[in-house]
Amino acid sequence: MNDRPKHPIKSETRKFITPPRLMANKVKKTGGPSAEQAIMRALNAASDLMNSYQGWAVDDLTRLWRTFQAAPRGTHSPEDIAQMFEIAHGIRGEGGSFGFPLISMIGDSLCKLMEGKTRLTLPELEIVKVHILAMRAVFNQHLKGPQPKLEGELRQLLTLLRDRADRRH
Amino acid sequence: MSGYDFETLKVLVVDDSRPMRSLIKSFLYGFGIKNVTESNDANEGFSVFKESEPDLVITDWRMPPTDGIELVKNIRLDPESPNPYLPIIMLTGFTELNRVKQARDAGVTAFLAKPVSATALYKRLCTVTDDQRAFVRVGKFFGPDRRAKRRVEAYSGRNRRRDI
Repeated sequence: MNDRPKHPIKSETRKFITPPRLMANKVKKTGGPSAEQAIMRALNAASDLMNSYQGWAVDDLTRLWRTFQAAPRGTHSPEDIAQMFEIAHGIRGEGGSFGFPLISMIGDSLCKLMEGKTRLTLPELEIVKVHILAMRAVFNQHLKGPQPKLEGELRQLLTLLRDRADRRH
Repeated sequence: MSGYDFETLKVLVVDDSRPMRSLIKSFLYGFGIKNVTESNDANEGFSVFKESEPDLVITDWRMPPTDGIELVKNIRLDPESPNPYLPIIMLTGFTELNRVKQARDAGVTAFLAKPVSATALYKRLCTVTDDQRAFVRVGKFFGPDRRAKRRVEAYSGRNRRRDI
């Protein structure tokens, strides 16, 4: 058996360079707050923002709903779908960051449903609607913080809906 | 007082989401980093980078019309880049393995998934601070060494990837 790699790396084409400036030279490893203190201070610094998030998120959700409703059923253009994806992608990143992990989970499921698509079938549009209504319910019920049981059940349901839509293609 | 002292760092945050920029800025402030500049797109971000010469960039990926990957490539490869060795953290909702590889191949230093927590960001800052990797120029790539342990290259026999 030949032990040599099939495509040997040509080391002569590589150049290794030691960075002239390292972040480590600027950061002292002692003298700052402990990790626990630093994280607590960060959470305190962000607490007002955390409390304001729901207002911004509802605006995003309203934009998503309007884009969804703007076109008659089954006539959403690739641009409409791209716009809905953009909003959902933003929501999935922000939700959990601001204390609403359920919103990130639903937003992620919605992104998976729409990513790379230029048209959506009627069943897929129904599933988009389910996602938007689910996010609205999370905010209306103030379901902030970890909701492991609900998250598991909801994830299972949304995955099932997406899988069914895929099978109909 | 026993932890990292980040107070002297200058950080640039590039994200098209204002709430996310504000959140990251607040977290950094809590860690002691007061010198934070921000930008809401990759093109402007590159201009701000050239002007402010930060010690670290934290960038989102998807920011139409351009994206964070373009910003990373500009920082690494553009002749006008004042610091091609800059540590860059890619902070994104794209978490699939192929995306992580794409970011690594563009030259990011570290990857951080959204949703983000203060704890995750703090840990990543510590990792990037401790990162002593050499940079590699090979073909069109310029960035931190993509192989975890370079000693593997010295040996090309069987099980050469064991223990990585």
